[in-house]
Amino acid sequence: MSEVIVITSGKGGVGKTTTTANLGVGLAMRGKKVVLIDTDTGLRNLDLLLGLERRIVYTLVDVIQKRATYEQALVRHKKYTNLFLLPTSQVADKTAINPEQMAELIAQMRNDFDYILIDCPAGIEQGFQTAIIGADWAIVVTMPEISAVRDADKIIGRLQAEHKEIKLIVNRIRPQMVKEGTMLDMTSIDDILSIECIGQVPDDEKVVDSANRGVPVVEWDSSQAGQAYRNIVGRMCGEKISFMEFPTEGFFTRLKHVFGH
Amino acid sequence: MSEEIVKFKGSRSGLVLVLDTTADFAAIEQDIRTKLESGSNFFRRGTVIQVLPGVLNEEDTAKLMKLFHQYGVIFRIADNEPAAAETVAETAAEPQQPITAAAADTGLTQNMTVVNRTVRSGQEVTSQGAVLICGNVNPGAEIVAGGSIDIRGTCRGIVHAGAYGDTSAFVIADHLMPVQIRIAGLIAQAPDQIEKPDCAERASIKDGQIIIEPIER
Repeated sequence: MSEVIVITSGKGGVGKTTTTANLGVGLAMRGKKVVLIDTDTGLRNLDLLLGLERRIVYTLVDVIQKRATYEQALVRHKKYTNLFLLPTSQVADKTAINPEQMAELIAQMRNDFDYILIDCPAGIEQGFQTAIIGADWAIVVTMPEISAVRDADKIIGRLQAEHKEIKLIVNRIRPQMVKEGTMLDMTSIDDILSIECIGQVPDDEKVVDSANRGVPVVEWDSSQAGQAYRNIVGRMCGEKISFMEFPTEGFFTRLKHVFGH
Repeated sequence: MSEEIVKFKGSRSGLVLVLDTTADFAAIEQDIRTKLESGSNFFRRGTVIQVLPGVLNEEDTAKLMKLFHQYGVIFRIADNEPAAAETVAETAAEPQQPITAAAADTGLTQNMTVVNRTVRSGQEVTSQGAVLICGNVNPGAEIVAGGSIDIRGTCRGIVHAGAYGDTSAFVIADHLMPVQIRIAGLIAQAPDQIEKPDCAERASIKDGQIIIEPIER
């Protein structure tokens, strides 16, 4: 049984692509056959996060316009051979693909994979419509910030109108700020969005480092964000995993910093 | 002064103003004013009174609209339904008859729009009549109603009751904390810091201002 999941957010910069890359690698680490489809035509990034830019020959636009089959366009991951990327074009724009063509392609690919993850562009225009049309359900990524929550709310409204089931990932949480009351906490986010949450990912400098190296943080044992992504992958596979407790800086840890450990 | 020149008749679609067209307009206006003064219980705020099309000219209609408006009564020209007014010939001139008053009310409640979900950012609910939301109204959402608005949940969006000038319209919510409340032509803005109220509240117009008061549910 394959699952087609769209990863979306409305607002840009909250971590859709990072989430897609990490969940993709995480699922592949568990032996699932996964394909990641980048639909952010013209502003593609997913290939970079996976370190696959140099291997791209054909793109999604070539497949849609029948210049290549989707099998030809798939890029296999270097380390996880059951993980594939269907990259998009960096030169075309979002009008190159319409929702009907996308739905047709997803229907074709469906039986060949366990999971199809679609990385949605920011915004609510045609690119969004194209990305969500073939999906069975949606992951909405947001951040503990009023503008991101507002846009997530708008996107949830749109997805509900399309009768998609929705789950929420709250990304880039800074536990210290939440504790001090200077950042939205989970209760206030849930109060507004009231959507089942499947992930709380802390803000982690390693995410930036990992993006530069093209190795998603989910592979790094030492990373808190990586652990959070591994937990989400577990929940997607039906495991019951409770949310992580984030250690905040108490008096002693601050002392440690002062004395340089 | 004859009582015959102005009559209010009950009909299916509410009260209908029946005029002796031979009478002087000033006399008509005066008579209506007297009736509004004396029958203040009967002419509850928000009551709709209609006049059949063609009875009054534009200028007089505007004058009467202004007069009724002062008493919180909505005055408008009836939709062209033939015989709608004639079907119920029963007189409604007796203030102590609660049935006719109720009938005028149902005319409004029939137009109620019921929304059984949370209204999210960017979504809008618009209605000529009243609006009932069984869910939250999130920030960035907008509710515009000709009548009143009742929210069975938390209201954080923009609400506009009495959007067509009904100053008797109100807004009720379990937790009333909107960015902005508009009633008829008035606008009230939320304070910078707003705490979640623990009881249901109602916003309405009092002395030319929007006030919010706690209510029992």
